This record gives sequence, structure tokens and C-alpha cells, in this order.
Amino acid sequence: MQILAVSADNPFSQQTFAESLKLPYPLLSDFVERKVIRSYGILNEKIMTAVRTFFLIDPQGVIRKKWVLDNPQTTVVYSDTLLKDIEGIIGKK
Amino acid sequence: MRQAAKHEITGILIAIAMILGAPDSSRAEMAELLQKLNFNAYSRRTIPPEFNGRTADGRDVSLASLRDKVVLLNFWATWCLECRPEMLTFERLHREFSAQGLAIIGINAREEAASIRAYAKELGLTFPLILDPAGKINSTYGVIGLPTTFLLARDGRAVALAAGPREWRGNPARALIQALLAEPAAPKETR
Repeated sequence: MQILAVSADNPFSQQTFAESLKLPYPLLSDFVERKVIRSYGILNEKIMTAVRTFFLIDPQGVIRKKWVLDNPQTTVVYSDTLLKDIEGIIGKK
Repeated sequence: MRQAAKHEITGILIAIAMILGAPDSSRAEMAELLQKLNFNAYSRRTIPPEFNGRTADGRDVSLASLRDKVVLLNFWATWCLECRPEMLTFERLHREFSAQGLAIIGINAREEAASIRAYAKELGLTFPLILDPAGKINSTYGVIGLPTTFLLARDGRAVALAAGPREWRGNPARALIQALLAEPAAPKETR
């Protein structure tokens, strides 16, 4: 399984963020064009950032599940919810 | 003749070894110092984003205006307890190394100029403290915790970052600053 995180922040900013949190997966910068964010249909045009969203993509490249956090301060996607769906695709380990 | 050629080749080889050897050894020394200080070094050439700001005492400062200097860019706030001892040490380093080309710049996080001025007066800080009322510079640099410090070399590259406080009072920090000050600035056309 591969975790990828995409945001509209510049690469320098992402690097600081990743180092600060010691993140073990890559952060991809969609700055300046926001092509990926737009193509996934989650660009907040007002503030030009991505609406916080999780996509679960299977090995064939098909989006199997999507969680949109319209209000990240009040909506939470629990890791065991994610894990359950991941296990549904790649099997339990 | 043969002997003379041999000497010439030996001379050239020594010269090449000196040219190649010096940057390698200083790079290794710097890497060791960064590790000692628990800094995260940038593994490839990274240019930090430009910023423009006004200090609490009304001076305009931009990254471009600091060209050819070694820049210690510290993100801080008056409420940040761990920032306080660092600020005192930065003031000492500023007084000691600014004439040699070290620019210590504090970038505040979303506070009023009046409270920054009061803090600077209380601690006796004289290096530039830039206001960032909307957090724009903090966000551009990806700062999510205070203090966060970036070290930038004379040639404009980002050398390392530290998320959290570091020991700036000891010899490793001074040696690191001195090693950066000893580096040449980049030629104009490469910046």
C-alpha cells in the first residue's frame, strides 16, 4: 500500500511540514496550477486549496472509496474506518 | 625530462586533490555539525521562497535584501516559552557575527507590533523582528510549530531546518555559523 498526500502548498512548505511531523510518506505539491486537485473535483475555488478528502484507489487504479471532509474541524475519518476498507481491497494481514 | 614531467603530473594531481578535497571535507564537517545540532539538512539544492515584511520598528526587510548573507530565519511568538532562551542567544550571535555577514531574522506569528516591541525591549533584542499578522510568511514556509528555524547560505540555498528549539550556545552552533560564513556567495547570474 502507498500513501500519497497532495496539497496546493509550495514544495518548500511541504518539506518543512513533513520534517516537522517526521512523515514517512511523500507529500506532492500541486502548486501553482492545482491540476490534480482540480481533476479530482475537490478544489475550493474561493481559497484555491483542496477540500480535505481521502481517496482509496485499488491496484487497478479504480477509486473504490472517497471521504470528503467539508468541515475538517468537525468531521473526522477514523483510521480504523480507513483500515477496514483497505483490508477489504488488499486483504487482511 | 621524464622526471620533470613526473613532477608536473604530481603537482597537477595534488592541485586537483586540493580543489576536490576542500569542499568535500567542509561538506562533511558541516553535515556532522548539522547532525550534532539535530538539524534536518536539505539533501538537494533548495531555494527558499521569497518574502517581504515590515519589522515591529518599521523597517522593510525582504529575503532578496539579504543576498550574500548567511541568514538564520527564526519563526517565533511572544507566547512561545521555548522561543525565549533562543531569542537571547540569537541576540548574542547577532552582536558577534552580524559584521561578518550573519543576518538573524525573527518572523513573528500573528501578533501585534506593540506586543513584539515590548518583548524586544524586555529581552534587549536588536535584530529585525518581522510582523506576519496574517501568517502568510509562516504558511509559505510551512511552519506548523514554534520555534522553527531555517539556515540559509550565502549562495541563497536552504541548508537546514530545525522544528523545535536547538542548542545555539555551544561550540557546534558557532562552528556551523563560522563554516557558513566562510562559504563564498554565488556569482550574480546564478542567483
